[in-house]
Amino acid sequence: MKKVIAALTLLLLISVIPAYAGDQYDFKSAEFKEVASQFMCMCGCGQDHFECNMQGCGLNDSFKQEMKEMMDDGLTKDEIKDYYIGMYGEEILTAPEKKGFSLTAWILPFAVLGVAGVGIVFVIRKWVAGYKEEPILFEELTEEQELEDEIVKSMIDEERKKYF
Amino acid sequence: MHLIGNLSIYLALALSIYAFIIFILGIYKQDQRLVDSGKAASLIVFIMASISMLILFTALGTSQLQFEYVSAYTSTDLPILYKLAALWAGNAGSLLLWTFFLTMYTAMVVYSRKMKNNPLTPYVAAIMLANTIFFYLILGFVAKPFVLLDQVPVEGRGLNPMLQDPGMLLHPVTLYLGYVGLAVPFAFAIAALIVKNIDAFWLRMTRRWTIIAWMFLTLGNVIGGYWAYTELGWGGYWAWDPVENASFMPWLTVTAYLHSVMIQERKGMLKIWNISLIILSYALTLFGTFLVRSGVLTSVHAFGDSNLGAYFLIFMALAVIFSLYILMSRYHLLKKDSGQFESFFSKESSFLVNNLILVGATFAVFWGTIFPLVSEAVRGTKVTVGIPFFNTVMSPILLALIFVMAVCPLIAWQRSTAKNLRDNFLIPAILSLVVVGLLAGLGMRAAYPIISFGIISFMLLTHILEFYRGVKARRKVTKEAYPVALYWLMIKNRRRYGGYIVHFGIALMAIGIVGSNFDTETMKTVPKGGTIEIQDYVLTYEYLAQRSEGINDIVFANIRVTKNGKELGYVQPERIFYGSWEEPSTEVAVLGSLREDLYVVLSAWEKDERATFVVKVNPLVKWVWIGSFVLVIGSVFAIWTGKYGNTTPRYTGPQRKVS
Repeated sequence: MKKVIAALTLLLLISVIPAYAGDQYDFKSAEFKEVASQFMCMCGCGQDHFECNMQGCGLNDSFKQEMKEMMDDGLTKDEIKDYYIGMYGEEILTAPEKKGFSLTAWILPFAVLGVAGVGIVFVIRKWVAGYKEEPILFEELTEEQELEDEIVKSMIDEERKKYF
Repeated sequence: MHLIGNLSIYLALALSIYAFIIFILGIYKQDQRLVDSGKAASLIVFIMASISMLILFTALGTSQLQFEYVSAYTSTDLPILYKLAALWAGNAGSLLLWTFFLTMYTAMVVYSRKMKNNPLTPYVAAIMLANTIFFYLILGFVAKPFVLLDQVPVEGRGLNPMLQDPGMLLHPVTLYLGYVGLAVPFAFAIAALIVKNIDAFWLRMTRRWTIIAWMFLTLGNVIGGYWAYTELGWGGYWAWDPVENASFMPWLTVTAYLHSVMIQERKGMLKIWNISLIILSYALTLFGTFLVRSGVLTSVHAFGDSNLGAYFLIFMALAVIFSLYILMSRYHLLKKDSGQFESFFSKESSFLVNNLILVGATFAVFWGTIFPLVSEAVRGTKVTVGIPFFNTVMSPILLALIFVMAVCPLIAWQRSTAKNLRDNFLIPAILSLVVVGLLAGLGMRAAYPIISFGIISFMLLTHILEFYRGVKARRKVTKEAYPVALYWLMIKNRRRYGGYIVHFGIALMAIGIVGSNFDTETMKTVPKGGTIEIQDYVLTYEYLAQRSEGINDIVFANIRVTKNGKELGYVQPERIFYGSWEEPSTEVAVLGSLREDLYVVLSAWEKDERATFVVKVNPLVKWVWIGSFVLVIGSVFAIWTGKYGNTTPRYTGPQRKVS
């Protein structure tokens, strides 16, 4: 009898646990945001499922509810993601995946920047190498002197305009 | 009225074709009379465009519902301002606005005093008219603004509620002024190539035009962002939507161009690069228009059900092929002055790095924008490229750009020595590290914002130091008081210091952009008298009420706001139900300060007056708007003529028979 009571108690406990888990997440919790913001709402609002607040967007409410239920059932962020990708394809995601062909979306901008950067270094090196130093007739001006020089010249120019 | 409207379109089309041909003939025959006739025709085309605009404005303002356009985008109850602003709500009207600006710019260039005796004039005019012809062909045969309906409807379909916002009055107009404004430097660049006049003269001629176009592009983007922030209710201002990207890309390339032209002016280098940049910028404006009108990409901005995209794609292809052909045919001339750099560490090099980052950023945005199409073409699977992608990819690029902006002003032309670098950057670098330490001390733990604020403060400090050095140098010579020296320093070097003011604006915007990423949000359903707490704010929902404005019903909630126990006043988020539109719209309530915005959205309500609110605290958002004001001030300062301004040069080169 004791065993039966123990088994029943265990069963009762097991059945109660999901009920507690069901209250774990609300629609504004950080965990829910993490999950919901990876999916694009398809109501045309241009927002993800966390942000969509379009009036009358039936899609978002049911999506949110479904996601919350999955989270309450203990599914991880990635498992939920895989579930929806399996159902709707990669289009449901707010950003391309970082694998397969989609990886090129992430890499190419930096690759292009890197290659162009190397190109610029080569070009500048070529231009610097081609630089022929002219004999110094006057003492080189420091940057501060250059600025003073500019100011003096502009004042002289102004005076010149005034009197001539 | 519709007859005059149509006549103004077809007559303008005929006259633009005439002007285009007569300019070409005038150039070919070197006959000034023909060129003058072309000039007069360009002016009449502008007058015709003004008449078309006036007629459409009148039809919209007086609710002439027999016009298809009027009935499609307005209703009789619409406030007069929005009735008029509906001119750019649809395809035909917005393209008419575009054409109007194009003809206006053409007339301004052709009749500019600065263009007197300038042999580029007929070429520039002909290139701009080629654009005008394209737009008039569209207006005349594809997207006609003056089509009459068979039956006059009792009421119009009304204006989309999202467009019933002050942003609608400004955002499209400023954006188009920017977009179309880029046609001017483009036309000058191509004209300079055709006449083989490839020195920096055309750059100087178009400097002001380019800055004006850039300024309007900036304004257009910022006003659009403000509109999204206050109207859409999602608490953000930039969603990296394909159409937003379309206006951001030319902004980036023109920014690059405005910097790299300085090397051409100073050293006669980068001629091919500068012309390529302006061609690219112009092509990107057409690409943007193609995106908006074609619907090939999902966008909240798109003008649906339109086949106009194909026309724009063809026109863009023709413009690019023609430009590249001209560029290639002059390649040998442009290549002549390949130039030299004295040192790796020079302002010239930093400008090149600045260009690399700006064009790299353009590529990143372009790649992200078209990737869904690429993916579909390659794998048959369409993917979405949204905010997380762009934020991840663009953040480091834009931070690098701010760093280069910090370094650029203080690095010397020709050659910077180690001593120069130490003298110029040591103090700003130490002070920026202090800022970083302070932020960490205040509890900021995330690495990205700390690095970002560190770089932004470094940029601000190098710029302040640059102002200080200039004032000090001036005082040494003139013995003026500090404010007087600062005043004259800036007034007499408008271009340089205008540019630095623009940099200040960008830094302030960057502060806002970084800060606003750290928003806090809550959504709560509360009964009457209930409270919502978020950070230090307590919002007490007092009541829900309804009022009417015309045929629209407005439901609003009255909310009392306190912060740390101190009364801040009331906010009233609204939902507007339109008499002539199914979807209600959100009117966000924002209680703002320089530190943060309290952003309240009325999401839903029940019969028992329980209401659901989305409440956000968005830090530092105001700095985005303040920064944009500073940026505009800097742009205007840089191009202001005045006594000491950088005036546009007059043509003093060899005289030709026609100009």
